[in-house]
Amino acid sequence: MKKIQLGEFEEVVLLTVGVLHGNAYGVTIKDEIEQRLDREVTIGALQITLRRLEAKGFLTSKLGESNEIRRGRPKLFFEITAYGKKALDYTKESRDELWKALPKLVLKLK
Amino acid sequence: MTPSTPPRFLLRLLKSFCKPAYHADIEGDLLEFYQQKLAVLGRTKANLLFLKEVLFLFRPGIIRSITFTQHLNNNGMIKSYFVMGWRNILKSKLYSSLNVIGLTFGIVCFLLIGLYVYDELTFDNQHQQRDRIFRVITHEQNPNNDATTVAAAGFMLAEESRRVFPEVEKTTRMQRVGRANLVDPEHPVNIQETVTIADEYFFQIFDFPFVEGNRVTALKEPNTIVITEDLAMRIFSTVDVLNKHLQFNHMDTPLKITGVLKNHANNSTFNFSSIMSESTQYSSEEFKTEAQTDWASTSFTVYALLKPAADPTAVSNKMTQLVHANATLEPGTKLAYTLQLLKDVHLHSADIIDGARNSNVDSIPQSNPIYVTVFLFTAIFVLLIAGINYTNLTTARASSRIKEIGVRKAIGAVRGNLIRQFLVESLLTTAIAFVFAVILVALLLPSFNNFTNKNFSLITSAGIGFWMIAAGLIIVIGLLSGGYAAVLLSRFNPVSLLKGLKFREAGNFSMRKALVVVQFTISTIMITGTIVLFMQVKYLNNTHLGFDKDLMVVIDVNVGRARTNFEWVKNEMLKISAVHHVSVTSRVPGEWKTLRRVKAKSEGTASPHQISYAIGADRDFLSTYNVTLLAGRNFANDSDSTAIIINEAAAKMLGITDANGQVIDIPQIARNSFFVPIFDDVNDSFKPRLIGIVKDFHFQSLRNRIEPLIIAYQHNPIQLIDYYSVKIAAQDIQGTLEKLKAIMVTNDEREPFEYHFLDQQLALFYAEDQRSQTILGWVALASIIIACLGLFGLATYAAEQRLKEIGMRKVLGATMLGLITLLSKDFVKLVFFACCIAFPIAWWGANRWLEEYAYHIDIAWWMFALAGGMALAIALLTVSYQAIKATFINPVKILKAE
Repeated sequence: MKKIQLGEFEEVVLLTVGVLHGNAYGVTIKDEIEQRLDREVTIGALQITLRRLEAKGFLTSKLGESNEIRRGRPKLFFEITAYGKKALDYTKESRDELWKALPKLVLKLK
Repeated sequence: MTPSTPPRFLLRLLKSFCKPAYHADIEGDLLEFYQQKLAVLGRTKANLLFLKEVLFLFRPGIIRSITFTQHLNNNGMIKSYFVMGWRNILKSKLYSSLNVIGLTFGIVCFLLIGLYVYDELTFDNQHQQRDRIFRVITHEQNPNNDATTVAAAGFMLAEESRRVFPEVEKTTRMQRVGRANLVDPEHPVNIQETVTIADEYFFQIFDFPFVEGNRVTALKEPNTIVITEDLAMRIFSTVDVLNKHLQFNHMDTPLKITGVLKNHANNSTFNFSSIMSESTQYSSEEFKTEAQTDWASTSFTVYALLKPAADPTAVSNKMTQLVHANATLEPGTKLAYTLQLLKDVHLHSADIIDGARNSNVDSIPQSNPIYVTVFLFTAIFVLLIAGINYTNLTTARASSRIKEIGVRKAIGAVRGNLIRQFLVESLLTTAIAFVFAVILVALLLPSFNNFTNKNFSLITSAGIGFWMIAAGLIIVIGLLSGGYAAVLLSRFNPVSLLKGLKFREAGNFSMRKALVVVQFTISTIMITGTIVLFMQVKYLNNTHLGFDKDLMVVIDVNVGRARTNFEWVKNEMLKISAVHHVSVTSRVPGEWKTLRRVKAKSEGTASPHQISYAIGADRDFLSTYNVTLLAGRNFANDSDSTAIIINEAAAKMLGITDANGQVIDIPQIARNSFFVPIFDDVNDSFKPRLIGIVKDFHFQSLRNRIEPLIIAYQHNPIQLIDYYSVKIAAQDIQGTLEKLKAIMVTNDEREPFEYHFLDQQLALFYAEDQRSQTILGWVALASIIIACLGLFGLATYAAEQRLKEIGMRKVLGATMLGLITLLSKDFVKLVFFACCIAFPIAWWGANRWLEEYAYHIDIAWWMFALAGGMALAIALLTVSYQAIKATFINPVKILKAE
């Protein structure tokens, strides 16, 4: 499990795909991140991350329906794979562990 | 509501760089995103945002890689074009061969004429510094306003220009002073050569290739000579002749051979066989003193090599100033110099007199730029006609390929594919034709060389430049001729093609008609041109010149004894039974060398002196040449040495109607294009009596009007005798010539016996016209054949298309004649129309050309009628063959197939 390493943005995207469960394609993912995290996401950055995650096996995709606005271009829906879920778990666990190890004193310094 | 879309070019941009696998959904996302923003922010901002998004997509991971699969596909497609093109060519053998034959004819004509024109245009190209070599031209006007333009200048002009002007790198002087026997002193065999003299810089300016010898020092020393390989072979039978000796028989010292030149290239204006060093003459005191003061003469042909980027006009202006500052000119004489670029010498010297005009040598051969232009255009036109053929046949046959095009389109061929398909097909056809054409040209070249008097070979003579131009032009023709068909045929909608709908043909058909009209217009112009040219050349050769030119042997006087002892020679010649008449003259009618000019007027009249040509002749001149005496009498004996006979033109000029011993005052004679006194005493004049008037005869080319001519007695102060004219019998000409030679040699053993037949010499005047006539004739023939091949194809196709109609008509009782008319009339109409366009153009062109001749045929209506009739007849023959074939078909066979 040591090889699993998610970047910050990768983690955000992966989580958002999970959040959107079943309705995760380019536009919705972008909107979701922008709304929830109040940060701007370009389609370019998003797409390249999605493809990378897919290539690593954290996501799968399938072509969906289209509509008039998309002029016949299909939506590409993403879903988290079991492996992807494991990756999320691993990331979360590793963070938690670090949190636990953090001395209380340090936190209070804030 | 249809959703509004973002700027299209951005979508196209995305498509161009995005990985194909990602493209569809990304574009969908983008469009959806755009709609969102559009609703909130408005169009401008949405567009800007969209632009930003697209630009941010341009990053690794999304950009497609340059894949090889794409290329492999293209290669396969290109291969398929060739395979398909080849199959199509093989499938319709008739049309393909019509196309190939037409194109082959066109290309053969184009290549042959192209070789000729290329050769003419690249004269003197072998000299490296050709762009900087100029010939000095003297324009002089004497006090009587006689203007002459001579390709010559003075000794000191060359000398000082070289020394004084910074723009002038080098100059060189060349002289062609006359002809003399050149012999090997050890084995003297007379070989008469033109004496050419040049200074040491000659070979530094011109790149005549040396086989042996040093080009820098070859002409430096006195008594040296450089000869060509050809002359070396003639005299020594070897080219290994360096440091051997030669001698001109009018000179005392032998000349050392310091160089052997390769023979002259075919396209060189220089034709000297030997060049003697100018320093040979320096030993003569006379030459020295004369040269020192020679600023304004026209005795030397001067070439100047200018520095790069020097302005020739400025240099020539300086030369004019230089001469004016140094020369002592006769008051009233105007003198100016210009520089003529070396490459213009061959084609653009029509009004320039050769520098060696008074020295009994042939002038440098020139060419007529009109013919070169005409040939250039005919070459391109013939190729054009062949190209048009291809276009016509392909578009005409388009409907037979409707299904093919339809299927191709249906299974995914885009327009570009089809266009390329057709272009490859036309290029293939052109390439095949080109191969055939090159083979044909190779076969025809020997006879072509023969009559153009050139020496072309397929590879060496033209060089890479020519073949590049030719290949380029042929590819262009291939693309053009296939291009129209390709663009036209690929345009149709596949659905209507496959449903079997016919094209709307009206538009294309009229285009095709226009092309046929163009073809036949060009062909008819060429036929008319050929007829006019043929008639004119025939007229030139057959016009009665006013004297007998047949069976006339003209023998040059080359040795002194042949001149002084001519009475004896004449008597001996007359003893030969085959010799009818012998006459001695200074010049012969139809003279190809310079005629002397004099100034003359009737004594006692107030009118000024006028210019007339003059020759010297003996009492047998009139009978030998059969020139008609109109008034007075012939020369009788030596007491007539102060008598003259004049021609009608001269009589008119002098205002004389009858010959009764009037005294004619002849004070001056032309020398070096100036009129100078005949006698040393300026006030003295030659005052002969007029004893006879002869009918005008054409003593010059028919290009010129008959000018006034004074025939003086053989012994006269104007010009000594230079020729024997011997009228001989038609039998055993060779034997007669041998006997004549024997007499001449007995008279003087150094006699080289140089002779011409007068009629052949006269024909040389018109040799170029004759040549052009032949070339134009063949080209006209080729062009009409090509046009007819096209017409044949079109007619075949038209007949095929209308088979059903013909069948119906036959069933309903149409006569054969009616059917032929039906099928032919469309085409005949076109040819008729073409004639209407061609005639005015041909008439205009022919008139322009004929104006060059003082004596020419009149253009008659029948020439046009003949040309038009020929075009029409050939077209009708071509078309009606198909028509007749179609009418013989059994209607049942055609009609039952439906």
